[in-house]
Amino acid sequence: MPNAEPLLQVSDLRVHFPLQAGLLGRNAGTVKAVDGVAFHIDRGETLGLVGESGCGKSTTGLAMLRMSPLTDGRIHFDGEDITHPDKPALKRLRRRMQMVYQDPFGALNPRMKVLDIVGEPLRVHRLTQGRAAYREKVMGLLEKVGLKAEMADRYPHEFSGGQRQRIGIARALAADPELIICDEPVSALDVSIQAQVINLLEDLQKELGLTYLFIAHDLAVVRHLCHRIVVMYLGRVVEVADRETLYDNPQHPYTQALLGAIPIANPDPEVQQHFNPSLSGEVPSPIDPPPGCPFHPRCPHATELCRREAPRALEIEDRHSVACHLHDPDRAQAMAGNL
Amino acid sequence: MNMKADVTRRTLLDVQDLHTVFEKDGNEVHAVNQVSFDVKEGEILAIVGESGSGKSITAMSLLRLIPSPPGRIVGGRVLFNDQDLLDLDDEQIRRLRGRDIAMIFQEPMTSLNPSLRIGRQLAEPLRVHGSVPKEKVRERCLELLRQVRLGDPEKRLDAYPHELSGGMRQRVMIAMGLACLPKLLIADEPTTALDVTVQAQILELLRDLVRANNSSMMLITHDLGVVARYADRINVMYAGRIVERGTAEEIFHHPKHPYTLGLMESMPRLDQAPGSRLTPIPGQPPDLSDPPPGCPFHPRCRFAEARCRSERPPLEQITDNHWKACWVDTDAKR
Repeated sequence: MPNAEPLLQVSDLRVHFPLQAGLLGRNAGTVKAVDGVAFHIDRGETLGLVGESGCGKSTTGLAMLRMSPLTDGRIHFDGEDITHPDKPALKRLRRRMQMVYQDPFGALNPRMKVLDIVGEPLRVHRLTQGRAAYREKVMGLLEKVGLKAEMADRYPHEFSGGQRQRIGIARALAADPELIICDEPVSALDVSIQAQVINLLEDLQKELGLTYLFIAHDLAVVRHLCHRIVVMYLGRVVEVADRETLYDNPQHPYTQALLGAIPIANPDPEVQQHFNPSLSGEVPSPIDPPPGCPFHPRCPHATELCRREAPRALEIEDRHSVACHLHDPDRAQAMAGNL
Repeated sequence: MNMKADVTRRTLLDVQDLHTVFEKDGNEVHAVNQVSFDVKEGEILAIVGESGSGKSITAMSLLRLIPSPPGRIVGGRVLFNDQDLLDLDDEQIRRLRGRDIAMIFQEPMTSLNPSLRIGRQLAEPLRVHGSVPKEKVRERCLELLRQVRLGDPEKRLDAYPHELSGGMRQRVMIAMGLACLPKLLIADEPTTALDVTVQAQILELLRDLVRANNSSMMLITHDLGVVARYADRINVMYAGRIVERGTAEEIFHHPKHPYTLGLMESMPRLDQAPGSRLTPIPGQPPDLSDPPPGCPFHPRCRFAEARCRSERPPLEQITDNHWKACWVDTDAKR
């Protein structure tokens, strides 16, 4: 990386939602959607944020844009502390950081022409002078994402799912952002269309030097697109590693189980023998998470220590960290001493 | 492991030229267009396709579950044990559903009645079909819940659907599907709404129970990974038609139809080195109220020839275990 300082740095991020019950809105507990998450994103890289439903990956993405309330933690963007930005700072920030959403049907206002959907960031941030320049800029953006310039005068319902996702990407590009947060951008699309959008994201990154936070549950897509991957479980980060390391040498029992549970599109017995659906049970509720390591009720290696104490994230090798007592030499020793 | 497809096995279901249309804005949409296939005893047959390919409408047509209007089965035969299901009256088809052929839907949240306890819903197919004496119904329900490995079955019988997780609800759906030991189970995207670790548990369970009951299964899915793991034979659908059929081995290792080839190339693969560029299929599926002439895939096909634009290729057998609907020799052109 030419610039060693990360573009985005998140430390000890917590997003807790109060849970209300009954007519009076009595406080009935807290949903710890994100509970102590730390990671960074380097300039020009694609960082994958993966996990199953309820792991907090989308909430984390929204917190970056300051669209979900922070309970605790710090976020730095390009060296600047953006944890509590004032209004002008927030506006500046949202110009440099944009979002592409999962649902290409719900994310576009059906009453607006494509011209004004894609052009919205240009208007909000006053980036063009006059109607003609505005129109020209939008048409350029449409062509950049593989649509036709004249489509600017149409409405969202006239487009297919894949085309709508291109419109969403054009809108995200309008303000020349540095970071784009993609929340499941291809999971609503059919396989044949999905590849079109994946290739487009790759091309745009190369051409514009973009940095992506790519939030997804499809581990094959993540492996294809992402340079580095953060695996989340029940509001916490369990493992972070480069793509090759994570897929070839996963160390957290949850990452191992997750990778073993993906059916591979090859019927050969040699390939199928790697399939290992051994993980039982389901993800517990974030309202009442288990004590200690959140994964312990499903973990085949869980010990007394795991039931009692949450593991800390440890770098077990260069660029590879794991939050698991099995990989913590001090704890393992302490355990052995106790026995 | 997959059983090798066995041509000598008896045919359980024989679908011939099934044709289902929908009325939409005054146009006829041919959602399922002259589809023929069979399901052998004891096999898992997959129907693969993207949204709008007609795979779910095919399944629903077999059990005559098409909402009418706007849908209508306008032609074809659905022979189950040599009886045409399309000839049965409403009462006869009702008696057959759940008993001989059962269906598991994608959405366990919407397929269960939210206001009835699990036990009552699970008992319904048993009561309707009188498969077990009244006093044994509860016992059979418990047995079914144990079979689908739902923990604490006694307590679950008295639970309402909202008290169960998505995975648990799908287990209940499977238990209902298997209650009367149907000869054929139709599973329409049975795990699409579930997380991958839960999906793996459910699909393994479903496969094991189907095998144990000596039943057959029609697995409808868009997920080629799921197909590769569970299917003995595969039908690939595109724009309301079957474009390729073969054993799992043939379809994954020797795909012949340009659409199947395109699907394989456009998908990021975990069994191949990462980083190579994907080859998408250009364009998008046709509007079925105004399909293109000739082969429905020709506007997106990189091999298309003059003939493809005017004449529709029939589904033809090319080897013992392989059929395709395509004029082009794709092996020679690749």
